[in-house]
Formats: sequence, C-alpha cells, structure tokens
Amino acid sequence: MPPLRRAKPAAAQPATSPEPTAPAPMTPAEIAAQRRKRRTGALIASPGALYLLIFFMVPLGLITVYSFATRTSTGRTSLSGWNLNSYERIADDVIVGIIARSAWLAFLTTVLCLVVAYPFAYYLATRPPRLRARLLVLVMIPFWTNGLVRIFAIRFLLGSNGPASALSEAMGFGTFRILFTPTAVVLGMVYGFLTFMVLPLYVALERMDWRLVEAARDLYASGSKAFWRVTVPLTRSGIVAGCVLVFVPSFGSYVVPEILGGAKTLLIGSYVARQFQAARNWPLGAALSVLVIVAMLVAVAINQRNSANAERTPAGMP
Amino acid sequence: MSADVPAVEMHGISKRFGEVAAVDGVDLQIGDGEFFALLGPSGCGKTTTLRMIAGLDIPSEGRLAIFGEEVASWPPDRRPVNTVFQAYALFPHMTVAQNIAFGLQMRGIRGPDADRQVAEATALVQLEGMEHRRPSQLSGGQQQRVALARALVNHPKVLLLDEPLGALDLKLRQEMQVELKALQREVGITFVFVTHDQEEALAMSDRVGVMSEGRLLQVGTPAEVYEHPASRFVADFIGRTNLLEGVTESPSAMRLNAGAVVAAANELPPGSPAALSVRPEQVRLHRRGEAPEGTPCLDGVITDATYLGHAFVYMIAIGPNADAGGSGAGDPAPTITARSETGSTALDAGERVTVSWLPASTTVVAD
Repeated sequence: MPPLRRAKPAAAQPATSPEPTAPAPMTPAEIAAQRRKRRTGALIASPGALYLLIFFMVPLGLITVYSFATRTSTGRTSLSGWNLNSYERIADDVIVGIIARSAWLAFLTTVLCLVVAYPFAYYLATRPPRLRARLLVLVMIPFWTNGLVRIFAIRFLLGSNGPASALSEAMGFGTFRILFTPTAVVLGMVYGFLTFMVLPLYVALERMDWRLVEAARDLYASGSKAFWRVTVPLTRSGIVAGCVLVFVPSFGSYVVPEILGGAKTLLIGSYVARQFQAARNWPLGAALSVLVIVAMLVAVAINQRNSANAERTPAGMP
Repeated sequence: MSADVPAVEMHGISKRFGEVAAVDGVDLQIGDGEFFALLGPSGCGKTTTLRMIAGLDIPSEGRLAIFGEEVASWPPDRRPVNTVFQAYALFPHMTVAQNIAFGLQMRGIRGPDADRQVAEATALVQLEGMEHRRPSQLSGGQQQRVALARALVNHPKVLLLDEPLGALDLKLRQEMQVELKALQREVGITFVFVTHDQEEALAMSDRVGVMSEGRLLQVGTPAEVYEHPASRFVADFIGRTNLLEGVTESPSAMRLNAGAVVAAANELPPGSPAALSVRPEQVRLHRRGEAPEGTPCLDGVITDATYLGHAFVYMIAIGPNADAGGSGAGDPAPTITARSETGSTALDAGERVTVSWLPASTTVVAD
C-alpha cells in the first residue's frame, strides 16, 4: 500500500467566525417597546415569585438566622448572642459519621441507579416512537404514585414475613434479613429515585446522533468500544444530570431511611428532623440544614456547568 | 492484488425493509482503483447499496465480495472499507486529530507511528494547524476534509463516499470535485461515490451506475451513459434531453407524434412505442425551410428565448399546431429545447424555424 502523499498545497479556508457587531443605538420607540416587554414579563412572573418569596426564601432565611442562635438549657432557642457553636458541633465524630454514612449511601444509590437506568434508557430511546411513548408512561406510573405507599410496599416485600423471605426460605437460604439495614435503605432509595436517573438519560440518548456510532463501527470499533468511546461521552450531560438528581435527594433523604432503616442507619435527614423535634436543638438542626443546602447548591452548580458544556458540544452534529 | 479481482462485486444483492425493497437484485462489479459513482434520485437505493458495502446494512439476499472475499455477513469493523458519511458524522467530543486517529487506535496503532500517520493524513487534506480544533469550530469544507482524512488514514481498500459534497455551497463543491478526483489518483484507492447530482457524477467518475427504485438501470462511462442512455429514465435523468414520443417503423426509422418520420437506429420490434432522445445542444436551429437536405427536421415556432451568458436556451413548439402559437385547443403542442452557444445569431420568440439534428447523436429509448 503506498503511503498517503501530500496533495498540492492550497490555501485552507478560514473557519467561519461570526463578525463581532457593535450594538447600534436604539431609537426611542425601540426603548419604549423594550420597557413594555419587561413590565409584562415582571407581571407574569410575580405570582410565582411571591409564592417562592413567602414559602421558600423567608423560611430559608429563618433557618439561616436560627443556625447562628443559641439553645438554652430548657431547649428553647435564644435569638441573642449570635455564635458559630452549632457549626462547630458539626465537626463532632457522631455528626461527621452520620454525614459520611449519608454521603456513602447516597453514592451507592447513585451508582446503582446509573447501572440499572442506563441500559433501560438505552432500550427506551432505541424503540420506535409509538412504543417509546407507551413505555415512558409505564416509567412515570410509580412516580405518580404516593411515595409513602410505595416505601411501605417495599417494607412488606423485604420484611421477614414477606415474599422475599418466603422465597429465600423455600430455596433453602434461610430467613431473609435485610429490612432495617443499610442495604434496605439503598434498595428503597434506588427504587424511589430511579425515575430521576432514567429521564435525563433517556433525553440524552434520544438526542444522540446514532450515525456517529455507525461512523465508529465503520472505523473498526467493536460494538462495545463504540459504546464506551462514542455513546457514553456523548450522553455525559444526561449521566451527570441523572447523578445529581439522584444524589441530592438521597443525601438528604428522610422518609426512606425512617421506614426501611434501623438504628444503625441514622442518616442526616432523620438526624436534622430529630434536632427540631425530640432533641429540641433548633440551632443545630438549622446549621445542618444549611450544610445540606450548600451541598445541594454545589451539586446544582456542577449540573449547570455540565449542561453549559453540553450546549457547546451537542450530542448531534452542529 | 491482481488486476482482475474486482474491488467490489455484487450478485443479486437485495435489501428489503419490511415490505419495501430498497435495493432490488443489483449486479455490479467495481474495478480496483476505479472512481465509481452511484447516481440516482433520492430514495433510489444508492445509499443503501453503499451501506451494504460498508456493512452498516446486511443484504436480504445476494452475494457481496470485496477483493474476492465474501463479506456479506461481516460486521462493519471487520471490513477493509471506510466511509465518508453524508453530513460527515465527525465525533463532536473529539478534536480533529483525535477524530483522524480514531480508526488507528481501534486497530491498536498508537504512539509515534499513529502520530506520523495522522500528520500525513492531516497534510494530505491540508488541515495543518487545525489539529486541536473541535469539529464545531470548522467550516463545512474543513469538516469535509476531516471526514476524508479520518477515512483515508486507515488505507482502506475501498473508500465509500455518501453525498460528501452535498452540504457544500456550489463554488466549494466544484473546487472539491477537482480536488477529490486528484486525491483519488494520488492515493490510488477505489472510490465508490453516491450522489444525486448527475453533473457531479459525470465530472468525477470513471464509470457511473444509474439507479432508480432499487434497480441498477445502466452502468457505463459518463460518455456512454450520456450519449447512449439505455432507458427513458436514464436519458431524462442524466443531463437535459428532449424526449420526442413516437412509434418505431423499422430498425432505422421512427414515426414521431410531431408528424415526421426520421432516421433513428433502434433494436425494438417495428411498431413499438418509444421516444427519441435528442440533447438540447445537438438541436440545430435554421430559419424556416433552410435546414440542410437529408437530416431529420421538424418545423416549429420559438416560444421562449433565454439568455444564459454562455449560451441561449430556446423553447420551440413543434408539430402540426406549432404555427398557431402552440395553443391548439386541448392538446398543447410538444416543445423541444435547443441550446446554442452565444456568438451565433440570436433568435427571438415568435420566429418560425426548422430544427434538425444528426441521427448519430440521438438514441431511441423504450419505457
């Protein structure tokens, strides 16, 4: 085979770069039109903004204020003598342990969700459109069902008198004891949050340009190599979005560990609730809440940057 | 490899999608080092044929060999062919250099050897200095070059090109036609090129295969296909032509519906309905009655004259009703298109003329 030889030199075309255009000064009519548009926009947004202000921003502000307050010996909260005591307590071994366990179980939940959801989303996205719509409804049905009911159903399934245990005994493995263990909590959270992983993955895979996979196959990539080198990188935005959407609620989860977990699976959500209820230590509960919110904001920031990247290099061709 | 082993050989290749036969019984041989164009309107099965050579579609029936090896059931990654895809299908998450290196990597070629080959391919398509750009930062023409380099770097035995110039504007497309042809001569690789643009096919290829509705209608050099179309479809699809309807009278003559009996060599049984294909540039215009003796001719009236800069295009109403302005009740008079170089005397609409042609420049086509 002859080596590839250099063709005759010719000037390469310059890349298309949009000319920077100086903003032209606006006429009074244009300014008035813009002002009207802005006023209409503000009017439309105001009910939602008001709602969020009263029921979200104000409580959030209160929580932040309380986190700097002091708990009196009687369990009341004194709104004077501001200090960082509650934040300092977060460094306690007990609390660090709870945070680490919460993060670990949230991490396991995220990984399991990804492993379960990716093949399923792949299957969904590669079906003919009509079947796809029907399967999506099936995905959404558990999502529309009351969460508490679903978790209690899992509790029944996993319980020592439940079907899982009966099956295990029938097969000679003895009684099935995973209820009230971290395993049960992770199983419950995977079940509860799976939809949050499936949907962004489905969107990313559905937008995927499959001709790129064909191109990879044409360039000597086996099916699995094409998957790892092309499909996975091109659906990265969906993977990151799904992971953030599962990790955040898993980390602060309250209902699932309360119902499926035992004494050894105290997670940060339950611990915060305990501070506000039984322990009557509002400043500590508030400080921990702030911590969870900050963790969530970090995750959201990661997701934002990820989707901004995805816009620069879309799944399809430009 | 010996010269008489064809690069691509197809016997009775068909591809059905459900009930629809996208490709229907194609027999085709493409020679080693040939620049072969598969030409046809959209939906004629040309892209499916190309994809079967690439291994992206598996034939429903038939035999397919690449340099003598039966490959019909091989997956695409085992075939010694590479494809330049329509719209290029460059990997958007990789740089130009990574795109080009992909095929080498997949075959386990890494390190300095791979770097050298990537640099060679980059130079071949004149993309030096663009190695670290993303495809989205390139112009259409540059993306096209990356797609070429990404395929050629693998030294495929056959390069498949699916409408590679379709996304470029006219000027760039014409430049790339010349360049692609020069490139093919340099690297000596067999090119199989799919296009719906007959001018492109004629300009670039050694041989052309014309497809319609899944069938391969005619294969030949551009001149053969243009000058001696085997069917009405080919005559009409390749270039512009006048199809004068009529009935054959003998192996050497045909009666046109426009009235005249003209010399027309054909192999059809006498009495067959057929059409005489006369290319516009073969039509000669004379003032009425001044046509040379012994050539087939028809009287007509110019209904429209268009100035194209390098040529005039005339529409001429012919047949019995022509002198009435071509607007006889009901049946519109058939028209014939003529093309003549500027420099000849310009004629105006309304002029009464006689058109003639040389019998050797025409072809009789059946349905």
